[in-house]
Amino acid sequence: MYVETQKLEQKMTPEEVSFVEKYDLLGCIQCGKCTGGCPVTTRSDLNIRRFVYDCLQDHLEELSKKPEIWDCTTCNTCAIRCPKGLDPFEVLLGLRSFEVEEGNVQPTVRDALESIFNNGNPWGKPRAKRCDWMQDIEGVEKVKIANPGEKVDVLVHICCTACYDPRIIPLAKNLVRVLEKAGVDYGFIGEAESDCGSEVRRLGEEGLFEMLVEDNTELFGSYDFDRLVCISPHCYNTFKNEYSDLITKPVMHYSQLVAELIEDKKLVPSGELEGKVVYHDPCYLGKKNNVFDEPRYILGQIPGLELLEFRRSRERSLCCEGGGGKMWVESESKQERLAEVRMSDAKQMGANIVAVACPFCLLTLEDAMKVKGFEEEMRVADILELLGEIL
Amino acid sequence: MHDIFVLAEHRQGELREVTLEMMTLAGQLAEQSGGKVTAVLLGSGVDEFAQKCAQYADRVLYVDDPIFENFNAMAYVPALAQLIEEQKPHLVLIAHTTQGVDVAPALAVELDAPFTTEIIEMSLEGEKPAATRQYYGGKINGRIEFKDSDVYLVTVREAAVPAGEATKSGEVQKVENPLKGEAGGRRFLEYVEAAVGEVDITQSEKLVSVGRGIKEEKNVPLMEELAKVLGADLSGSRAAVDAGWLPTDRQVGISGKTVKPKLYLAVGISGAFQHVTGIKGADVVVAINKDPNAPIFQYADYGIVDDLFKVVPALTEKLKEVK
Amino acid sequence: MNIVVLVKQVPDTSDPETEVIIDSTGRGIDESKLSFVINDADNYAVEEAVRLKEKHGGEITLVCLGRESANQVIRMALAKGADSAIRLDDEKFSYSDPITTAKILKTALDGLDYDLVLTGCMASDDGYTAIGVALAKMLGLPHAAMVKSVEVIGDNKMKIGRELEGGLMEMNEVDMPCLLTIQTGINEPRYASFKGIREASRKEIKVMDLAATGLSEEEVGEAGSKAVMAQYSVPEVGELAEILEGDASETSAKLAEILKEKGLV
Ligand SMILES: Cc1cc2nc3c(=O)[nH]c(=O)nc-3n(C[C@H](O)[C@H](O)[C@H](O)COP(=O)(O)OP(=O)(O)OC[C@H]3O[C@@H](n4cnc5c(N)ncnc54)[C@H](O)[C@@H]3O)c2cc1C
Ligand code: SF4
Ligand code: SF4
Repeated sequence: MYVETQKLEQKMTPEEVSFVEKYDLLGCIQCGKCTGGCPVTTRSDLNIRRFVYDCLQDHLEELSKKPEIWDCTTCNTCAIRCPKGLDPFEVLLGLRSFEVEEGNVQPTVRDALESIFNNGNPWGKPRAKRCDWMQDIEGVEKVKIANPGEKVDVLVHICCTACYDPRIIPLAKNLVRVLEKAGVDYGFIGEAESDCGSEVRRLGEEGLFEMLVEDNTELFGSYDFDRLVCISPHCYNTFKNEYSDLITKPVMHYSQLVAELIEDKKLVPSGELEGKVVYHDPCYLGKKNNVFDEPRYILGQIPGLELLEFRRSRERSLCCEGGGGKMWVESESKQERLAEVRMSDAKQMGANIVAVACPFCLLTLEDAMKVKGFEEEMRVADILELLGEIL
Repeated sequence: MHDIFVLAEHRQGELREVTLEMMTLAGQLAEQSGGKVTAVLLGSGVDEFAQKCAQYADRVLYVDDPIFENFNAMAYVPALAQLIEEQKPHLVLIAHTTQGVDVAPALAVELDAPFTTEIIEMSLEGEKPAATRQYYGGKINGRIEFKDSDVYLVTVREAAVPAGEATKSGEVQKVENPLKGEAGGRRFLEYVEAAVGEVDITQSEKLVSVGRGIKEEKNVPLMEELAKVLGADLSGSRAAVDAGWLPTDRQVGISGKTVKPKLYLAVGISGAFQHVTGIKGADVVVAINKDPNAPIFQYADYGIVDDLFKVVPALTEKLKEVK
Repeated sequence: MNIVVLVKQVPDTSDPETEVIIDSTGRGIDESKLSFVINDADNYAVEEAVRLKEKHGGEITLVCLGRESANQVIRMALAKGADSAIRLDDEKFSYSDPITTAKILKTALDGLDYDLVLTGCMASDDGYTAIGVALAKMLGLPHAAMVKSVEVIGDNKMKIGRELEGGLMEMNEVDMPCLLTIQTGINEPRYASFKGIREASRKEIKVMDLAATGLSEEEVGEAGSKAVMAQYSVPEVGELAEILEGDASETSAKLAEILKEKGLV
């Protein structure tokens, strides 16, 4: 043990002691493997090992004032690398919650959280418009909405971003086409659906997260389904791991379902795509939930594609900086964004397509592609979009 | 007699344009009702404004007193109330400006008159006014019905009618200051200009916002010039900020600032969702983009589909002309 | 320094895509698809009050005219630092015009001891921009509208800045007690966490109905109002952008004209 427990308890408030226990900080051996792997150190002063240490030494309130606590993308790298099995970055979420309780958050974060509370989505969009995306889907007359109590195999949760952001809506539409084509017994939730709470938790708003868990559990409880399928790895992770087993049915990411449909020959990728594709592992699918193979399997089944691999892939994949609430917290750093580094890597490999399986990755990487001026040579696409092109 | 009062508005040695607009509206209403237009001018040594008002009004009531050198609602309200009680106009029009909203509601209470604000349309049906104003940020209109009264009071949206021609030559009547003593509890101190360099785009009244479409940093001055003629501040998309063309605090969007200007002129911005969430409070959105399919046009009120490098210099010139 | 802040709950119609649908009476709107929030300017007024309290001490009382659902907004303001609240609620208050609304609000202030009254400068639903200034007159207080800076100077005096067109600030000295209508942007409102709001639910919200106001039925609502909204209508507006046609000199001339017409040049 690095720090003596007794000494600690003398100088700490009960609140601080429970913080230490909650994150198992005394288990840390200060080996530094966490910081060593942290991708944002190239653009931020964030030193995660140091935070774990300082939480045992300094007052948490003071630590929570450090701006770097907002630089963590919650990519999970530090957790994977920690030999003691800690989730070091969770400490930062705990510190963020101090700021949230004091009301000290950036206006962009405040607005996103208030919107989730009021509208069930972070984008300040009316709930009444949540299903507007369901119009005009090629070959689909009407998107099926599940009725509470009526049995469906697959209940689909649409990420708030896929409901409202015109750039992401095609993912939702293509998922419907896939489900229809494969004859899946599916149903969407409709206007009653709310934010999953993933980003809420990562922004440190614990109370609001608990409210969402309660509300969503009740909502899902009213439906009769065999599995819950999510478009976004962020929703998927939260429902699967952070709802304390309140959701009793299996939770899946769409890539898992699609891989199964292809394997079962219910979905046959028929058309052809041309080019070299490299798959970017979303942190919340890969590093957090070990879903590495299904997306690659799907891409491999699309005729005509040549599959490349990033040097940093799977567990070592480079974060795109889209998660951890970073949508609403701009980095001060003028250093190159990680997404730009990623796109440069892809270009060097000669990839024509960077494939993703996450709305946030799609946004950040496509943006980086434009910043880099690579539009002529390559594109970024979600696997659902690629499937949509060949259905 | 149907006398219509118009409160003249002036500041820092200038008669405000809105006064001419309101006298024009009053003239139109007077024609309907067969009444007369009276401009009420409270000022100090502003004979020149009285003359100007006389070109739009049948009569100008001019109170010339040092207490009115600078605007002070606590002086305006009692003075106007007394003038109105003496002169008994049928209708009083006040501009819905920062002066108007500081005066009119208190005046309405004092006069116990039917009162509504920021009307966009008005007519007189016989004795009675009928007015339309907007609700829910302009998403719907509402018709106001007034109860019978000897005098009605409304504030009028700026630019509700364009200022017409100067066709009248009214008489300027100097009247004694009806206000005895001081303005109650409030004293004017000074005007303070917004400090230069300290631009807070969330507070800007107009924004010229630039995106990746402007291509290079060396084109920023061209945009600044456009902003200058408009009296606008410069903001941008994340692309423009990332490229280092603008400082970080000028970024509009989900991870930047939410803005609510009266005018948002987007130049070479595609209109990504992360950007447009930041401009939902803008009144008038204008987009200049060479791509007719750019999403920004779905959020804009007016669009020009063309090369910005052609449009921006031309627009800057035209704006100088119409100014 | 004791402060009264007027707060209002409004439907959130800020998103351009949010439609406001007129109901069958023609005098109300369909609220079923709308979410309800604190009026934007009031949010800034609450924040300003909390900052003044943090600096000068005293208590903050919220006064709200609204239905029970408005408790949500009140609790949020309580969570941010207000101390107590009064909600005026009676069916009979509906259709009041702004002057009558001010008259109703006044009854809640009559029993209170305060040095300052703050309101938002405008409500985003009806947009009247009138209630604060009308209320000041009824209370016999000096007032200032569209206030964008506030500073207490000496005993019972404030130095305030009114934001005028074009960003110019008009500085005034105002004697306390006084009423100020607060402009958005005067500060950056803090966030009220979910836990904080839940804790604030324990604070009592006093409710006043018509009888409690001491006003008669004839003095409130439509009967007591002299300029009521009689009928909503849908304005004629184009859905999509009007694309200006022609070469650069033509389009820019057209745009310059439009901007001029709208008073934006
Ligand atoms: C986590 C995250 C947060 C983000 N936050 C924000 C944010 O807060 N604010 C923000 O703005 N963005 C944000 N973005 C980025 C956003 O997704 C867009 O990438 C960005 O807004 C694009 O900027 P742009 O419109 O300037 O560039 P582009 O999308 O490249 O558009 C440039 C436009 O200029 C036009 N153009 C080019 N040349 C000319 C010419 N000669 N004449 C006329 N038009 C021309 C083109 O047709 C094009 O439409 C965020 C992205 C992510 C992933
Ligand atoms: S989660 Fe990722 S970004 Fe955050 S501290 Fe760990 S390694 Fe760094
Ligand atoms: S990797 Fe784990 S044990 Fe090592 S310093 Fe980080 S938190 Fe401590």
